[in-house]
Amino acid sequence: MLEQFRQYHLARHQNARVWKEQSGSQVLGTLCCCVPEEIIHAAGILPVRIMGEHEETTEADIHFPTNLCPYCKSCFDQALKERYDYLDGLVIPNVCNMIKAMYGFSKLLLKTPYIRFLEVPQRLSDQGVDYFTKELRRFKESLEDFVGKPILDEALHHSIDVYNESRTLLEKVSELRKKSPPVVSGSEVQEIVLSSMLMPKEEHNRLLAGLLDHIEERDDPPEAGVRLFVSASILDDTDLFALIEECGGMVVADDMPMGSRYFFGQVDSNSEPLRALADRYLNKIACPRKMLPEERLNFATDRMLDADVKGTIIHNMRACDSHLYEYPLLRQQLESQGLPVLFFRGEETETEKEQQRADIEAFIEMLED
Amino acid sequence: MLVCGIDVGAGNVSAVILQDGDVISYCVVTSGEEGATISRKVVDEALRKTPFGFDDVQYLVATGCGRSSVPFAHRQSTEVVCQAKGALYLLPSVKTVINLGTESSRVIRIGENGKVEAFTKNDKCAAGSGLFLETMSTILEIPVELMGNLSLESNGYEEVSSICAVFAESEVISHIHRGVSRDHILVGLHKAVADRILEILGVANVKSDIMATGGVAKNMAIVKELEQRVGLEITVPPEPQIVGALGAALLGQDKVS
Amino acid sequence: MVQSTSARKSLRTTLEVPTLRKSYYAQTLDDSKKGKKVAWCSNNIPSEILDAMDITSVFLENYATVIASKRLASGFCAAGETVGFSQDVCGYARMLMGYVLARDKVPEPPYGGLAEPDFLLVNSYSCDSRLGWFAAMSRTLNVPLHVHDAPYQPEGPSHSAADAEYIERELRSLVAFLEEQTGTKFEPDKLRARRAISRQTSDIMYEISQLRKAVPSPMGSADMFTAVWPSMYLAGTSECEEFYNRLLAELKERIDGQIGIVPEEKFRIMWSGIPFWYDMRLINYVEDFGGIVALESFYRTRERRLPPQDDDPIKDMALSSVRQRAFPSTIIASIDDILEAVKEYSIDGVILSYNPSCRMLYVSQTELQKALEDQGIPTLGLECDMADERTYSEGQVKTRLDAFVERLLAKA
Ligand code: SF4
Ligand code: SF4
Repeated sequence: MLEQFRQYHLARHQNARVWKEQSGSQVLGTLCCCVPEEIIHAAGILPVRIMGEHEETTEADIHFPTNLCPYCKSCFDQALKERYDYLDGLVIPNVCNMIKAMYGFSKLLLKTPYIRFLEVPQRLSDQGVDYFTKELRRFKESLEDFVGKPILDEALHHSIDVYNESRTLLEKVSELRKKSPPVVSGSEVQEIVLSSMLMPKEEHNRLLAGLLDHIEERDDPPEAGVRLFVSASILDDTDLFALIEECGGMVVADDMPMGSRYFFGQVDSNSEPLRALADRYLNKIACPRKMLPEERLNFATDRMLDADVKGTIIHNMRACDSHLYEYPLLRQQLESQGLPVLFFRGEETETEKEQQRADIEAFIEMLED
Repeated sequence: MLVCGIDVGAGNVSAVILQDGDVISYCVVTSGEEGATISRKVVDEALRKTPFGFDDVQYLVATGCGRSSVPFAHRQSTEVVCQAKGALYLLPSVKTVINLGTESSRVIRIGENGKVEAFTKNDKCAAGSGLFLETMSTILEIPVELMGNLSLESNGYEEVSSICAVFAESEVISHIHRGVSRDHILVGLHKAVADRILEILGVANVKSDIMATGGVAKNMAIVKELEQRVGLEITVPPEPQIVGALGAALLGQDKVS
Repeated sequence: MVQSTSARKSLRTTLEVPTLRKSYYAQTLDDSKKGKKVAWCSNNIPSEILDAMDITSVFLENYATVIASKRLASGFCAAGETVGFSQDVCGYARMLMGYVLARDKVPEPPYGGLAEPDFLLVNSYSCDSRLGWFAAMSRTLNVPLHVHDAPYQPEGPSHSAADAEYIERELRSLVAFLEEQTGTKFEPDKLRARRAISRQTSDIMYEISQLRKAVPSPMGSADMFTAVWPSMYLAGTSECEEFYNRLLAELKERIDGQIGIVPEEKFRIMWSGIPFWYDMRLINYVEDFGGIVALESFYRTRERRLPPQDDDPIKDMALSSVRQRAFPSTIIASIDDILEAVKEYSIDGVILSYNPSCRMLYVSQTELQKALEDQGIPTLGLECDMADERTYSEGQVKTRLDAFVERLLAKA
């Protein structure tokens, strides 16, 4: 059953094409975890998260200089290589310099018909929630124009329920990796999370609920490894998690945009839907772009201590400004609490894996010593 | 009890033979041949200086980036742990190990309990590595072994400001063309290399005592520059290249007893 | 010995700036001694508000360029690196983190160092580095930080009521923070007066921008990179307005007398991106070949300031900022903007600086360069950090400049 999630992720482009054909509806790509997918879902559109590849960039190099976030560059490279040609639209939120820049570049270089920038306040405040609520209304209206029909409140409520269910299920399965010995492995959870960003939500919920019913009785439980936490600026596949497991470690908790930040916190289904969405997407996701360091570091540290890990791996994309400044502080805070840290600067290349392996092996040997 | 540690690095392969906790022999050779062949050669070479033969070795631990290519090893261990063990044996009060290798440099921090607390590595930038010095040695036509002393004797220096190895190379060439004296360039170069090493040192939070290991640690100009910049004394063991193999041998001894 | 790195200037008014700057920094130290509250700010924090509340503002990016222009950046950067801020970190931020966290490792700071901050103010919308950098300082110095936010408005001025309202509330939060920190009440009249002066100054600067189109160029970037300083750090003061009045008069004088920067102007260059502060004389390099760097991408005032739209100065600021924009935001707008500048200022070629540690400008340079070349406009891309002189290889840069000049001369 777990294999289904992996297969869906691997064949994601093909799957999106099939979905499109069968449903006669549209597919919309999103970047980052502050785009409320519920609104897209309520419009009958399939939201899919844009992911890069560990693959040599070629097309993007013609348009971009070298020292930039490799994840963004890789995503753009994939788009220019027409791997995302099935997309009817893109929603690009105001998160970081690179993603902001992607908006203009997409408009300039891609043929995608609908490209929408989503303003997201960069500071937590009451006016921020008010403003984001209004921005979500504008976004909803623009989607209505795009699909040519209104998004009804009932539809929005329904979508919120579907997404809340998804978040609950994801939270449940991710808790199972914390058990000792773990019921699911870190990389398995990660496959489930990644596929949830790609698959129609109802189907994913159904599969995941089915899996959770039987998972505790599985006859092939993962081996318990050295318990580790991963904090990452972004990881768009399960390679690092799998590598950690190969080296004798096990990721039992994480703090990543394409990880637990995706399913953290619920949308209040009793409030006005757009405001409830604004509230969750602004206030409940602990992202370094919005939170001040004090809160953010405490949040991250608490999660690590709670997961009872022996060490933390911090993986930040090269030249990711939002995380570059946090890293020395986070490292210091963790080490002062006796939690060892291993740091990686992500490149999204094929070759980086071998270097990472050497370091992870050393880290694990050091933790076991 | 006879144990052996072997360190298969990118530039050198070294072996250390330990008898009842004492180093009785060691050997260092330049890598080149395939891992299994050369590692056996190094062990045999080291044993040649002792009354023992290969079969007398009870336990053998391999470390270094080529450790998996040693078919006769009983166990493998990472460079980080072995470097730390080796350094601790040589200097029990050591808190920071700066391992300056052929392709990468790393800093290892050791806690009060003698265990590794953290390590950082630089393998993205070539400018801090032994390989970089070798390239420079070719360009400047000065043997690697002499670079350090020549630089220490220099009475001035020419800045090599470039951060990256490729840049630095062309900068050095342009200095040569302008007729800048080679020892002045060397001083500048060593400062630039020290810069790269300092960058990884910072994160690891240097504490005394400090030991420098690896082939580049033989270059006293770099060590002196580092000492000055960190403001702390740095110990270099007589054979900085065998510290990893020594650590591996010590690990083997722990396993046997 | 410290060699002079500053550009050779041609206008007498520009030469006033170093003195102004020096006394500005002396004043901040003095203010701090007298117990005035000191705010460390990022660029784009509206200093008129601070000024109106009698708060001393210190702009760190400016101080970073001062350090860099004295060729001290590498020492500051290296100190920043030893406390964990990697070479990918913005050169300005790395220097100041070195200054803040490893003061014993940095060289003697210019102007006797900075007045210690009572609080920090950063705007969130210009670049991620500033936010991360100020947040890190706030934590390590244990000094309060206020973040000022505004929408990105990618399509240019949004004219949106929602955007204006958000900005207004953000400005009011800023004011509330300042009131809380200083214990003094904000007085709208004081801000209104300063806004009036800023508006006039800005209109003078618009006129200057227009005059710089003249051939031969009455004022090149060698002057402008310095002459822009009062508008950024003395905004809203009469000192500032008077400075630009004198500058305008001097420009007119030069135009009337047909006085150019070089005896016989053969080609005109535009500089796109941040210059290399540690070698500003590079800007003069082409002058020996009859060329002139006539324009830079930042300091062109593109339009006149809007007349007041509201009696409440805070609301007025908010309204202007959704109706008028100083810089283009998306790559599409940036391409339009640079092509327009090339045309209007009779530019023959463009030098693009690629400052890898300043992602937000760096990201666009390749595509801008491509767009220019597609239009047949010769370009030269130079990849060096704006502050850290260790990334600079003078010989190499000059060799490439020589080739570029040859290309331009062949076309002229
Ligand atoms: S990794 Fe950093 S730079 Fe890249 S998209 Fe995420 S926040 Fe932006
Ligand atoms: S990254 Fe660029 S825009 Fe941001 S502070 Fe540094 S130089 Fe300024």
